[in-house]
Amino acid sequence: MTSIAGLGFVAPWLLLGLLALPILWILLRAVPPAPKKRVFPAVILLLGLSDRDSQSDRTPWWLLALRLLAVAAAILGFAGPVLNPTREMAGSGPLVVVVDASWAGAAHWAQTRKQIATRLEDAGRANRPVALLQLSSPQALQFQAASTWQSQLPGLHPQPWQPGPAQIQATLDHLNNSDLGFDSLWFSDGLAYPGQESITTALAARGAVTVVSSGLPVLGLLPPEAQDGALEISALRSHAAPNGNTPTEILVQARGRDPGGTQRTLAQVGLSFAPEALRASTRLTLPAELRARIERFEIPGQRSAGAVSLSDDRLRRREVALIAAGAADEGLALLSQLHYLRQALAPTADLLEGSLSEILPANPDVIVLADVARLSPQINDALIAWVEEGGLLLRFAGPRLASSDTARKDEEILMPVRLRIGGRSIGGAMSWGEPKTLAPFAAGSPFFGLTIPEEVSVSSQVVAQPDPSLADRVIAALEDGTPLVTRKPLGQGQVVLFHVTANAEWSSLPLSGLFVRMLERLAVSSAAKPPEATSLEGTTWRPVTVLDGFGRRAEADTLPGISGPDLITAESGPTLRPGLYQSGGHSLARNALRQGDSLTPARWGAGISLVGYDSTPERPLAGLLLGLALLLLSLDVLATLQISGLLRRASGVGMIAGAGVIGAGLLIAGLIPAPAQAQGLVQAQERAQAPVQSPASSGQDAGQDIPPDHVTRAAELTLAHVLTGDATTDRIALAGLRGLSDTLYFRTSVEPAPPVSIDLERDDLALYPLLYWPVIPEQALPSAAAYARLNTYLRSGGMILFDTRDAALASSRPTNGAASAAARRLQQLALSLDIPPLEPLPSDHVLTRAFYLLQDFPGRHPRGPLWVEAAPADAEQVEGIPFRDLNDGVTPVVIGGNDWAAAWAVDRNGRPLLPVGRGYSGERQRELAFRFGVNLVMHVLTGNYKSDQVHVPALLERLGQ
Amino acid sequence: MSQTAAPQEAANAPARLRSAAESAASTLPPLLVQAQQLAGSVLSGDHGRRRVGMGDDFWQYRPLQQGDSRRMVDHRRSARGDVQFVRERELQIAQTVYLWVDAGASMRFASSSAQPRKIDRACLIGLALSILMLRGGERVGLTGGSLPPRRGTLQSLRLAEALSNVQDSPKDPSLQVADYAPPEDRAMAPQARALFISDFLGPFAPLERALSKAADRGIQGVLLQVLDPAEEQFPYAGRTRFESVSGALSHETLKADALRQTYLARLAERRDALDQLCRTTGWRLGLHRSNDPALAALMWLYHAMDRGQP
Repeated sequence: MTSIAGLGFVAPWLLLGLLALPILWILLRAVPPAPKKRVFPAVILLLGLSDRDSQSDRTPWWLLALRLLAVAAAILGFAGPVLNPTREMAGSGPLVVVVDASWAGAAHWAQTRKQIATRLEDAGRANRPVALLQLSSPQALQFQAASTWQSQLPGLHPQPWQPGPAQIQATLDHLNNSDLGFDSLWFSDGLAYPGQESITTALAARGAVTVVSSGLPVLGLLPPEAQDGALEISALRSHAAPNGNTPTEILVQARGRDPGGTQRTLAQVGLSFAPEALRASTRLTLPAELRARIERFEIPGQRSAGAVSLSDDRLRRREVALIAAGAADEGLALLSQLHYLRQALAPTADLLEGSLSEILPANPDVIVLADVARLSPQINDALIAWVEEGGLLLRFAGPRLASSDTARKDEEILMPVRLRIGGRSIGGAMSWGEPKTLAPFAAGSPFFGLTIPEEVSVSSQVVAQPDPSLADRVIAALEDGTPLVTRKPLGQGQVVLFHVTANAEWSSLPLSGLFVRMLERLAVSSAAKPPEATSLEGTTWRPVTVLDGFGRRAEADTLPGISGPDLITAESGPTLRPGLYQSGGHSLARNALRQGDSLTPARWGAGISLVGYDSTPERPLAGLLLGLALLLLSLDVLATLQISGLLRRASGVGMIAGAGVIGAGLLIAGLIPAPAQAQGLVQAQERAQAPVQSPASSGQDAGQDIPPDHVTRAAELTLAHVLTGDATTDRIALAGLRGLSDTLYFRTSVEPAPPVSIDLERDDLALYPLLYWPVIPEQALPSAAAYARLNTYLRSGGMILFDTRDAALASSRPTNGAASAAARRLQQLALSLDIPPLEPLPSDHVLTRAFYLLQDFPGRHPRGPLWVEAAPADAEQVEGIPFRDLNDGVTPVVIGGNDWAAAWAVDRNGRPLLPVGRGYSGERQRELAFRFGVNLVMHVLTGNYKSDQVHVPALLERLGQ
Repeated sequence: MSQTAAPQEAANAPARLRSAAESAASTLPPLLVQAQQLAGSVLSGDHGRRRVGMGDDFWQYRPLQQGDSRRMVDHRRSARGDVQFVRERELQIAQTVYLWVDAGASMRFASSSAQPRKIDRACLIGLALSILMLRGGERVGLTGGSLPPRRGTLQSLRLAEALSNVQDSPKDPSLQVADYAPPEDRAMAPQARALFISDFLGPFAPLERALSKAADRGIQGVLLQVLDPAEEQFPYAGRTRFESVSGALSHETLKADALRQTYLARLAERRDALDQLCRTTGWRLGLHRSNDPALAALMWLYHAMDRGQP
């Protein structure tokens, strides 16, 4: 590469083309724009005319300049100018690019990758074969063209672990297997790790080693520790920033879900490193509720696995089920068995209340049984199974337990001890002695270390039967040695019994702060210390969430389980990734940095050259110049058109603007250099790796998609009939509803929209308050989905008017086998419907007076009975009122056979379609049919308003008082 | 004019004839149909002369008089009685109309594809007027003796054929017609009427000569100038090289829009000269723009041709 005035040129000889520009000037100058050729018959009239003002036949100077500039830009562009050209690297021969690629470099990974790309480009220009060695997951050395590695560079990601012994050994093996001599370029993350020297030695034996390191300190976050109710948050750095480049103040954010379920920053705290200090700590006090929500701590802006610390069970909010004996009695709150438990647990745990059979499937962490003596056998078995799975069953004694025969003779599985009959009471009016206080907790007890307030005293308790195993099970005792709290392990879980009540009846323990702390110690409200390796012996932990090198969540589905001790002691690596692990309902976080870790900066031996990152990457300008040339040429096209008059003035402005936009677009495209495109590719890949949650959102979108006709139908009352599949029936039904809609419009304030026909399988029923369903024997049964929607419709207040249209339902004994075909079909249709018990319409039904006073309901057939929902059995007729007091409910179905649609049916002009009866009486019958329709719609719309009207005098009378 | 006179081989002659006939037949109907449609929209006026004479229509029966030839007796009428009758017809005088359509290359021009070429419009108007005249009983023919005036509907077919030959571009480049054709003034009978359709852009002297000759013979007629809108408006700008249709004439300018005023002045001058010539010879001058409807020109022509009829 030749460098001229800070610009490097890939092909400098092309610049000689610039010498040709003056010749081009002369050539272009002599050639005016070509004339247009026009066929014109009247040219004879033009002969002999001369141009009035002699215009120059030469190209205007500015057009010439434009063209020359375009050509010059093109020549310069093809010469391949490069801004800030990097100096040629010494050496030829094969090159091995060694990359640490651990989490420590993830924060600066973009720069690192750019540096690697630059070096690969250099190697490519020098035609050096290159091998890439990623120390955190070493592969065998593979010498390829640099461009091959460049194309694979976007797939190079930092791993969330440091190169461990296994990786170091694999690297050394790979290096030993290759017998080539090569130079090495080592992109270090800046941290030292055991085994680094051995690799350095191995590389130095093959050739020159150059270490490239950003020199920036590495930041790491230690897992927060709970100490005295606060969280101790500590951060580490590899070295103090020499030039004050790194902030000594960093921020730590605690992130988790808010009550609405969205991820957000729940708390943040600042940390400041003292000068030269490598560790900074602070304390964060959070409400327990907030603390339980935290999912991870992170240092914002540091995208690395080391700057993230996942939180596990220790901060999680537990689910506690509270069960008291007996039904809810309306006792005083302070006497309730569960009151103090609720008060103690509500801030720190999710409380579940209900019956055991409902709660057990929810698999709570703790179940509290307050004075529950007897459990049904199934519940008992289920509870045993739940405890054995790891549940904590916390029982309290009480009068019921004391008086029952639970755990009298034999030890019950769900009781830690056997109980003596009756219990004892101390210090009462009828007993000797004072109320007892608590003895200090023994060393093996979970309560060990808690201070016992003076005022805690016990006046009654149930007493454990002495047993050989009793001594092991007591975890708290009274001062006279009587067991107060006993515990028994059961499977993976345990059963704990407080020998007193959970309220203040038997002791003052629930009133004291000790009670809350005891619950905490029992892990009812919050979890304990990080577990020891030995305590996890024999368990297998399943990864739930793992972190990638950038500290983002990654898929953990395909990773194998980890044995418990390994999880605590083993080094991170491909098999043990930092993340959240789960076993039997407990979760344990394994973080990239653990307590006791420190960050040591890497030290390089003599003979190894150390370079930093180049700050100004080289930037090719060819695209920019070629884009400029293209823009100028397109301007030249426009200008030439303008000069030769081919460009009309009006359209010319638009064309110039359009060409300008195109030219600018090309220019911008030329400005973007190739590395940026590679980076864009990387970002696209990283986005693609992020978890996709589109199905849920797309489901929501689908729900918002409303057909336009639904809006109009919902805006106005629309009557609808069910399509039967028989064209004539459907036509008459629609015409009938049209007639009824017209009648309603003329006579009442109900102004319906034109009626519609609906298909039960496709249409939404919720828009129609009334469905008219003419039943024909041939009708197909609706599908199960349609039935489900019909039942929802009926339950949510819709009404269906079934019409067999044959008056054969007239028989009030439908079981005598004389039912018509349509009636039989109706039975089949209605079989799957959620229809309440029916009765023939009683004479005092509200349908008889919803708008008109009616006693029979003719359609085309004069009088058949109408079946509606049966009145409740206890409806009574009040003296002096002609109908019963039936206040609730609109009948969901009305069944009849009078073929109302035929009587209602009108054509477009409002004339009746079908004859009804004969003469005047026929018209009267049609009128009554319309009145029935009006009453029906009124009943649907107003419910039992007319029935309620009978109460108006009584209400007015009451108001008067 | 455009009929090919290529050397014919004997073997090819029938095939050639047939293909020529077919191509002629394929072009003939559209022109004829268009012209007949156009002519159909003009109602023929009074043509019967309301007196006895030579004609097709029945006029009266009169008794046989002295001097009437026996052959004149109408036996069908005479057989009803004893008197012999002669059947007389209404007098119909046929006028002779000569038509000339400029076939010069300058007529084969249309400034945009939305418009007809000038020659198409000229042929259409000429044929439509011929059909009108033929319906009126006039004899219509072409000047120059290629199609002598005859009457009857068959003549309209012959005219259509001749005009569609004019319309077609010559296929043989050697027969390339000149830009401006001089008016054909030969073989015109005295006291006839004539219609010359052209753009009259060519040399003025031949036209002057032809009209003087016609006036000498007592022929009166109409000049219809058919122009393209581009020729009337000169909507050109910028550096332009104007060429005639045949390419024989050309003129180059750097600034076409500067020539507009001069050109329009020259065009008006030419029109004035035509007008002056017509006034001297008793002819009439009409102007038709090829983007105007043909019916307007036909109506004007029909009345202009009717003027001076007995």
